[in-house]
This record gives sequence, structure tokens and C-alpha cells, in this order.
Amino acid sequence: MFSSRVSVRLRAAVAVGAVTALAAAGCSSSTSSKSSAKGDAPINIGLITALSGSNQALGPDHLNGFQLYLDTHNDMLGGHKVTLKVGDEANGGAAAVPVAKKMIEQDHVLAIAGIVATPTIQAVVPIATAAGVPVVNTGGRPTVKDVSHLWTMSFMSTDPGSSMGPYMAQNVPGSVYAFGPDYQGGYDQLRGFTEAYTKAGGKLANDGGKATFTPFPNTTDFTPFLSKVKASGAKAIYCFYTGQNAIDFVKDWSQSDAKDIPLYAAGFITEGGALKAEGQAAAGIITTMNYSPDISSAANRQFVSAWSQKYNGEAPPATAMYSWDAASVLDQAIAKAGPNPTPDAVNAAIKGMGQIDSPRGTWQLSADTHVPVQKWYLRKVEMDGTALANVKIGDLATIGS
Amino acid sequence: MGAINTHFVPALDGVAYGLLLFVAAAGLTLLFGIGGVLNIAHGTLFALGGYLAASVSDGSWSSAFLGLAVATVGGTLGGGLLAAGTLPLADRGHLPQALLTFGLSLVGADVLTTVYGTDEHPVVIPKSVNGTVQIFGHVYPTYRLMFIVVASVLALAGTYVLGRTRAGALLRAAADDREMVGAMGYAPWRVHAALCGAAGALAGLAGGLGAPIIGPGPDTADKVLMLSMVVIVLGRPGSVLGAFGAAIAVGEIETLGVSISSNWAPYLLFGLMAVALVVRTFRGSSAVGAGAAAGAHA
Amino acid sequence: MRIPAVLLSRPVRIGVPGAVLAVFLLIAPSSFDGYGISLMSKALALGVLAVSVSILAGYSGLPTMGQAAPFLVGAYTAGVMSTHGHTVGVLQLLCGTLVAAAFAAATGLVAIRTRGVAFLMTTLALGELTVTAAGEWRSLTGGTDGMYGITPIQPLPGMAALSSDRSIYWFVLTATAIVIAVVWWVLRSPVGKLLLACRDHEARMRSAGHPVTRYQWLAYVAAGALAGFGGVLMCTVNAYVSPDDGSFSNSALVLLAVVLGGATSPLGALLGAGLIVATQDWLSGPFPGHGPLLLGLMFIVAVYALPDGVAGIRFRAPKRRGGPA
Repeated sequence: MFSSRVSVRLRAAVAVGAVTALAAAGCSSSTSSKSSAKGDAPINIGLITALSGSNQALGPDHLNGFQLYLDTHNDMLGGHKVTLKVGDEANGGAAAVPVAKKMIEQDHVLAIAGIVATPTIQAVVPIATAAGVPVVNTGGRPTVKDVSHLWTMSFMSTDPGSSMGPYMAQNVPGSVYAFGPDYQGGYDQLRGFTEAYTKAGGKLANDGGKATFTPFPNTTDFTPFLSKVKASGAKAIYCFYTGQNAIDFVKDWSQSDAKDIPLYAAGFITEGGALKAEGQAAAGIITTMNYSPDISSAANRQFVSAWSQKYNGEAPPATAMYSWDAASVLDQAIAKAGPNPTPDAVNAAIKGMGQIDSPRGTWQLSADTHVPVQKWYLRKVEMDGTALANVKIGDLATIGS
Repeated sequence: MGAINTHFVPALDGVAYGLLLFVAAAGLTLLFGIGGVLNIAHGTLFALGGYLAASVSDGSWSSAFLGLAVATVGGTLGGGLLAAGTLPLADRGHLPQALLTFGLSLVGADVLTTVYGTDEHPVVIPKSVNGTVQIFGHVYPTYRLMFIVVASVLALAGTYVLGRTRAGALLRAAADDREMVGAMGYAPWRVHAALCGAAGALAGLAGGLGAPIIGPGPDTADKVLMLSMVVIVLGRPGSVLGAFGAAIAVGEIETLGVSISSNWAPYLLFGLMAVALVVRTFRGSSAVGAGAAAGAHA
Repeated sequence: MRIPAVLLSRPVRIGVPGAVLAVFLLIAPSSFDGYGISLMSKALALGVLAVSVSILAGYSGLPTMGQAAPFLVGAYTAGVMSTHGHTVGVLQLLCGTLVAAAFAAATGLVAIRTRGVAFLMTTLALGELTVTAAGEWRSLTGGTDGMYGITPIQPLPGMAALSSDRSIYWFVLTATAIVIAVVWWVLRSPVGKLLLACRDHEARMRSAGHPVTRYQWLAYVAAGALAGFGGVLMCTVNAYVSPDDGSFSNSALVLLAVVLGGATSPLGALLGAGLIVATQDWLSGPFPGHGPLLLGLMFIVAVYALPDGVAGIRFRAPKRRGGPA
């Protein structure tokens, strides 16, 4: 009796103590690190990426690309020692709101890099813009109302499709069957393709002439969707998939009635870990991407060798290159922003940036949309030495406005 | 004839997918229906089985069987952990157990991605079943065809063990009256441990067998849990035959259903689940009937 | 070591922790920055949702896995109103609550027919369908990217718009305090006892002539309305709504908040929600990506260490063993 009563009160005390401790710690942490950077004082940079939740397969590359740049540049950006504050956007959207607020209010970051999912962009950019903090975005990029503080290193979601559309209209002898996942990024990707493809004279083979969208994230079996392709008489497939969807789609395609119908896709379907998991099933897939590890330039050689040194001789995925560029752009912008860089000054410096030398080739930010004006490449999955790789087989259009 | 031809592959694939769901859900329905533990970490054990099988696979038959063995052992150990964790909660109702297993699933997911990373792990299956075969003029993966056979054998074996053996009779008795089984000389904790171990073994085995179809990755646990829950609810917890019928129905919904009406694909699974649950409640009739009815309307 | 009877009396058991919480909620913001304050606002909005779950799971014996659905409906109602220029907070709360109530009235006709695990699964299915519909109905909801850059509200017509995290907090706190007081008052009235009686002795209540199903439907509608209220608050706090706000994991987290808080305690549900937000958004800060791990550990510890929930241990007198019941 005695012990049970004591333990009840003990538990109560522990619970109350825990709540109070949480509250107290919350108070104390808010008062720290108020001082802004002085001279060559250290600076904080935020990086938001998906480290848990439905996009976690895509998240680490965003972090690793940025970290690699810091590793190879003495942890400095623009002459200042950098502390990287990493935050998790989880499933994207509302989950990232507190993450961004913490970076801005407590860590006083000069800029926020990363962001995988488009809902996260929509949730975070208004907060950052209100605080005057630039967002250097390395993931998907939707249409955004106010781009004054948003700078995209990757591409507009419609760009990969826009680059591939005219090529397929000219080179595929017949109609094309188009697939994408059922979310906004998927609609944007497929809209880019469909508009460019039909404008160049192509015709979709799908029922009703519109692209097919597969339920996301619950589709694991694409066989029933693929069973319609053969009967439609399509001469090629175009699709946009990432992560686990990409792997499942490629595996199912390679073992279906549609396996003799060539697969064209936005490059993410065979990037990094996805290509490894797909293995031989991916052989022969033709993709469009604004990067290929075999581009011959000094900037690319430096990046590829740094990456393969750190990651067991592997080729870097495009996402890591966007993040590398994000760090490189911030490096130059912070250097221009003076000895006491402020978020506003960094934002202005990014705006004034001209040609950017990058592993993908030189590119520049569009004045209207703040998205790269850049060249797109045609790649094919082939054996390169002992492993399958995305080998560049030609140039597509330069896109961006 | 044309319609049959178009929908042949989805219909066949529905059987394979349904059997995969049956194998995946079998452990969950056993543990929930008989042991009363709603194991939210069930999908995590499935994923564990998949990762283990993938890690030893090298394309030979011996590695494939070794993979299944390792996956089953891993699942059994996970089930043992579950048994130890839930035993002290036995007389506190469903919710604390569900809470505990939810916590275990979150911890387990973190451990799995820490050990195996966030990329999906490919399973290298033996060459002779890695290709495709022609059936009535259609291309179909050999492995899935083989899976239909293996899973059917497993279903028959399960029905036999539960319905015709002494161990099965004991388990069924435990579901109805635990104290009576205790009075017969079987300590309740032993029955509980055996149930958790068997359910874990089934989940691990399912993960190993299913890995070439639902490869082990960070999403696997959640997806398998969600689909398994749909299956056991439609099939009435604890009923092997019910789970079988429901699994095939869900498999067909996810394949033939989306093939027939892709516009409604996003709503199909949960829409039909809600309809089936309510229809069953109104009619007060058996679960198998409701599950089959849901499939028939798809 | 006997605890004096006065310390176990109802006013003290509820009043003291309630007063401590109230004082904390009132003075804490003065020492927090915008980030900490917005987390507190988030915890309050999620807390209102948790209280609605406690009405269902605790008082009515209907454990729900889909209460994030009316929450989502309320949040979208506020979002849609804002995009059409209706930015008065009180009006948004009213409309969000009504629309969510109507939503619950319709879905309740289906859900309330089922019991136990079937209810759990029916609400889960309804929740998933709602999330899917929110993603698909792009003309109204903006699709899976959600509604963003939502205009700040004015609490009452003619007042200035709430531009800071601090002013939003005071609005959310006031609204939460009022609605929780109403819930408390209703549950302490015979209505609460009626619900508990239906939960524990359904057959007896039916044979005594009580329309139990209608009571439970009404409780479902009221809980839906309350969840919608919480959804409007969440929309105000985040200035963003997306289908993910209605996700299964949100529903599961608030159910766990209620279990943590001791099923039939509104105050406990609020505390439970606070603990979850503190763990998921604040404690996990130094370990990005491991928020789920910390939540998982918290649940495991809670199951063993707090069998009656965080609130239960303080509110309930120690059981006497061996004596007459």
C-alpha cells in the first residue's frame, strides 16, 4: 500500500517536473545567440530537407550536396565560418512551419537552403519573405505568388517535360502514353510535357487524350495501369516519378506487356539510389535532365571527384549538384554582402548575380521567375564500366524565362 | 472478348497482389483476433523481414531460402520482443497495447532507416524466376506467378494448422476463453508468447517472400500496415478464411478496380472499406460476405 | 503517509493543476520568442482537437482514428473564407465550426452505426477519403500544395489584423479558453453523465428508453464541430492548410494525446497535445529527422509509467485495495 501510494505521487512529481523543465528550457533557449555576425564572425545557414516521412528517400542528397561544398571549402561561405542548422520537413507543408520559424527567430539564419516538396515551399516562403530571409531552393519548384526572396537552383516543375516534349514529337513514330503521380508536382511535370509535346504536333495515346495520374503515395503496383498501354497502340511512354514510385514503376514496366515500348522520363526516375534498386530493369530508359555526371568541365570534375571520394566511388545525383550550387551561390552572395552580412544584403546580392559557373555548365537566374535558364540533356541508362549509369547522349533545348 | 483481354492481366495480378496481402495480414489477424493485440508495428516486422532477405540475397536459390529463414527468425525475435512488452499490459485493454506498438513502430522505423538507409533495398532473386512468362499472349512476371502457388500453399497450411491440429484448437480456445485454457495447464504467458512469436514469424516470412514485389524501403511499413488493417477488418479478425477472401477482394480493387475506373482510383480502397463496414453493420451478417460483396461491386 | 482528504477533493484536484496551467499559459509568452509562442499556439489548436477526441473516445466509448477530418474541414473553411476576403476571426470560427458540424452530421450517420474496432476503421476510412478529396478538389482547396499565404485575420470586425505570433497567440488562447469552458460546463452537466452511462451500460440505457444512438450521433456532431473550431485555429497559426493536416498520423497523435491525458479529462487532453508538440517540434530540434523516434520513446515510456495518463495521476485518488467497492 505504502509503496504504491508513494509511486503514484512520484510519477505525478516526475510528470509535473518534466512539463516545467520543458517550459523552462524553452524560455532559456530563446535568449541565446541574439548577437548578429560581426566582421568574420560565424554565420548560421538553415537547411530544410525531408529526413522522415514520405519523401525521406529524397532528403539526404539535399543535405549531402551542401555539406560536401562546406567540407571542401573549410566550412566557410563568403569568408565566414558556417554553422549549418538542419531541419526536417517530414511529409512537407505545415510540418515545416515551426522549423522555418525556429531558424529565423532563434538561429537568425542568413538564408534557408534546401526544401524537397512543393507544399513546403508554399508553407515556408511566405514566412521567410516576411522576415526578409532568402530561400535558396533545391527541390521541386511550383508557381509562387511572391518570388522576391525565393531563388531556385533546380528547375521549374514544368521544365523537364517542356524539354522532352518537342524531342519526342519529332523522334517517336506515333503516339505517347503519359503517366505521373497524383499530386501538384506531378500535374506540373506532366503539364510541361503535354503542352510542349502537343504543340510540336504529338498526340497522347491515353484515354481521352489526357495524362494518367496514379494515386499517391499508395500505388505500389503499376501493372494494372501499364496493361492499358499496349492496347492503346502507343509507341513510347513518358513519365515523371521519384523515390519508391520510380523504382516500382520501372520494375513493373520491365515485366509487363509494355516492356517493348520505350520508356522516356524526367531524369529523377533513374537518379542515385533509385537506379541502384532498379538494376537491369532500368537499362535503356531515356531521360531528360539538366545534369549528367559525365559532363566535361573543370567545375564538374571537381564536384564529381569530391563526391565519389566521399561516397565509395559513386556518381553524384543531380539533387546533390543543386545543393552544391546552392552553397556556391550563397558563398558568392555572402562575400558580396560585406563584412556584416544581413539576410537583406544576401538577397540583394543573389539578385545581382550574373552567370553562375556550375558542374552542370554555366547558367543564370531568370529575372522574372528566379529559376535557372539552363540547358537540358538527353541521357540513356547504359553500362558505364561495371555499373549502370545515366550517360549523356545528346543536348535538348535551353529552357527558362 | 476485348474487355476480358484488356482486364486479364489486372485480374490475374489482383490474385497475386491479394495473396501477398493475405500473407502480409495473416500474422496481424492471428494476433488481433486471437491474442487481442492490435499490433501497429506489424508493418515494421514485415519491412524487417524484407531488409533481412535482401541483405543475404545474391541470386542463388540457397541464398533465397536462407533469406526466407533469416526473415522468419528476425520476425520471430521481433514477435518475442512484442510478447515481452505487451504481457504486463494484458489486463489493460486494447488501447495501451496499441499505444505501445505504435511507439515501437516509430522507434523501429528509425532503427531500420539508421541501419539500412533511406534507399529501397533490391532483392536479387534467382534468374529462373526473375524473368517473365507468356500467358494467353500477355507478359507476366514469373515470380508473381510462383508467388500465387507458394501463398496458396501457405494459406492451406494455415487453415489446416488452425482448424485441424491440437495447437490450433488451443489457440482458438484461447480466443474464446483464456482462463479455461489456463485451467487446462497452459500458462497464459506461454500462449501469449507463442501467439506473438508466430505472428512475428508470419510477418517476417511475408516480408521476405514479398520483398521482390513490395521492396523494403522507408514507406513499406506504413503501406503494409494500412493494407493489412483493411484486410483484417473486412475479413473479421481471427478468421483465416475471412482474411483470405478480403485480401483477394482488396487485391482486385487495387488492380482490376483501378484498371476499370482509374478516375475513381484514389477513392476506391477506403470508399469500399467504409461501405463494406457499414453494410455489414446494418446487415449484421458475416464478414466474409461483406468482403466478397465489396469485391463483387468493384 | 495518508493524503489529507481535502487535497483529494474535486475542487483541489482539478483547480490546482488548472490554475498552474492557466498561470503558465498567461505568463510564459512574455519570456518566449515568436517561435516558442507559435508552438504554444499550435499546441492549443491541436489541444482543441484532442478535447474533441476525448469527448468521443473517453465520454462516448468511440475511439476515433479520423477526427483530423472535421479538423481539416474547419481549416479549409477558414482558408477559403480568407481567400474570398472574409478575414474576421470570430466569423471564421463560427463558419468553420458549423461546416465541420454539418460534415460530422453527414459522416456520423454512417460511422455511428459501427462499434469498437469497426468504428475505429470506419473513421479511419472516412478520414482518408476526406484527405483524398481535399487533394483532388483543386478548384476549392488548391490541391496537394495546399492553400498558402493566408491573409492574417482580424479577431472582430473593425479590429487590426493580427500581424505577430504574439497577437495570434492571445487570440488562440482566448478562443481556446472560451470553447474549453463551454465543453467543461456541458460535460459536467447531466449531458456528460448521460454519455458516460451510455458508454458503460448501453443495453440498460436503451431498455430505459434512452435513444442511445441519437445521443452518440449528437456527441459525434459536437465533437466534429469542436474539431472544426480547432482546425480554424490551426489555419490561423500556420497561415497554411494542406491535406496533410488531416492525415492519419495527426488523428493517431491526438488519440494518443488523449490516452496520455487520461481519457475523460479535457485538461489532460490539452496537456497531452502540449507534450506531443513539445516532443515533435521542439525537443527533436537538435536531432533533425528523429522526431518520430522521440515520439515513439515517449509513448513507450508513457504506457508503462503513466497508466492513468498524465492528468489521471494527479486527478484520481489512490485506489483502496481490498475494501468494498
